Amino acid sequence: MDAQEIAASPVKLRLSKVTKTYRTGAQVVEALQPVDLEIREGEYVVLFGPSGCGKSTLLNLIAGFEAPTTGEITLDDQVIERPGSDRLMMFQEHALFPWLNVIENVMYGLKWQRAYRFRRRRRRERAMELLKLVHVDEFAKARIHELSGGMKQRVALVRALAPDPKVLLIDEPFPALDALVRAKLYTELQDILVRTRKTIVSVTHDPREAACLGDRVLVFSGRPGRVCAEITIDLPRPRDINDPVVAECAGQITAQLESAHG
Amino acid sequence: MVNDTERNYRVYVVGFYVLLLGAWQLLFSLKLIPDYLFPSPLAVAKRLWELGADGSLWPSIKATLVRMAVGFSVSAGAGLVIGVVMGMSRIVNRCLKSLFLGLQTLPTAAWVPISLLIFGLSDWGIYFVIIMSSVAAVAIATSDRILHIPPMYLRAALTLGTPGYAMPFRVILPAALPGIVTGIKLGWTLGWHGAVSAELIKSTVGLGYLLYMGRELNDAAQVLGIMVLTILFGLLLDRFLFGQIEQRIRVRRGLERGH
Repeated sequence: MDAQEIAASPVKLRLSKVTKTYRTGAQVVEALQPVDLEIREGEYVVLFGPSGCGKSTLLNLIAGFEAPTTGEITLDDQVIERPGSDRLMMFQEHALFPWLNVIENVMYGLKWQRAYRFRRRRRRERAMELLKLVHVDEFAKARIHELSGGMKQRVALVRALAPDPKVLLIDEPFPALDALVRAKLYTELQDILVRTRKTIVSVTHDPREAACLGDRVLVFSGRPGRVCAEITIDLPRPRDINDPVVAECAGQITAQLESAHG
Repeated sequence: MVNDTERNYRVYVVGFYVLLLGAWQLLFSLKLIPDYLFPSPLAVAKRLWELGADGSLWPSIKATLVRMAVGFSVSAGAGLVIGVVMGMSRIVNRCLKSLFLGLQTLPTAAWVPISLLIFGLSDWGIYFVIIMSSVAAVAIATSDRILHIPPMYLRAALTLGTPGYAMPFRVILPAALPGIVTGIKLGWTLGWHGAVSAELIKSTVGLGYLLYMGRELNDAAQVLGIMVLTILFGLLLDRFLFGQIEQRIRVRRGLERGH
């Protein structure tokens, strides 16, 4: 989607004056200063910043793992209260279940969807389609530890896509993979994104990744965490992480972060 | 499949036991201890053969195994349930853990007198000892494993839409399974100790009873023979039943390489 299309789409996620503070004994840590944010349907928003800047905290709040200290987060105007498959989170480590094989992992989330509840065969068919989409279908019956790092991430991606979430939350897409595999996965991710028109929020500390994936990049600065800049990236997709134009955008993102830290 | 190094190890192990038997025979031949106190390996084997032939051995092995099968099933089931509750509630865990750790310091044989007082000479007392010897180990292992499940699995399950009622069976137990099996293995060993201890005093059949009879009759060959049998059966079940299950689970999850 280009910038105009996005602007015309309805608001999916709305964060109003969201803050988070942690209390450990007598210490009070302000993890997140007030954030106001609207994310539209089909938009890809990247939360970018150094570690400890509150970007992962924000993702956890949207996922519903934690509650905001003040403020409110709504999805389609419904207040978020607990984790659920409408805002599915993908984790840094793939978090695939080692007690299930590959296809069972992809089928797992479907079990709790009404349309698939007592229909094992339908679950299996849907899971197989998704595995084909990322070319892991030949390994449907493999154990998780038998897959390569890149394949694990692909399976984790389609496991998250299986229940057809309204919003996909990605905590550091594809870490700990070699550059070649990552570059390929970025392309695949964008391809799937264009096809399924998912709303995505992801977190990263890599400016190249932010420029490659995001329609909009929110730059966070640390301690206390706050949004210090917002950059719109209006480049055609799929973008190649090694494209000089992407690198140029990445430079702008880094510059914003540096100027915020003065 | 057995690879070459594995086969080599087996040769060493067999050699070790042959040496051990040889040392035993040598010690016997030196006549340092009177032979009615310290019989030769051959005499022990012969005595076991006699016990088998006159029909007193098999019913006892069967009795002990049946008692263990029934008693330990109850114990493992109860231990699992208690362990899951302990693993899901920090309050229950805090309360029960100290109690169970305390109970575990008690030698299994220490349950025998109280079981005699409560149950007299009936078989219920043996079940009681088996259960009390092993239930704490299973419960503690289960709850420990549950508390150490990587939070990422629980979060993944929640974000994938798992309803609360499905968490124990779909996520918590499977995630903790390798550790639970290890706990069950330990529980089995402790239960086995308890069973034989209880049979020493309050039974008319069973491996423990045969041990006791051997002592009563001053029959060192029978005592040693039954001890060897008790070790063998304990080892057999530990290694080949629970050990196999444990290893299969670990290989499936990539925690251990398959042979």
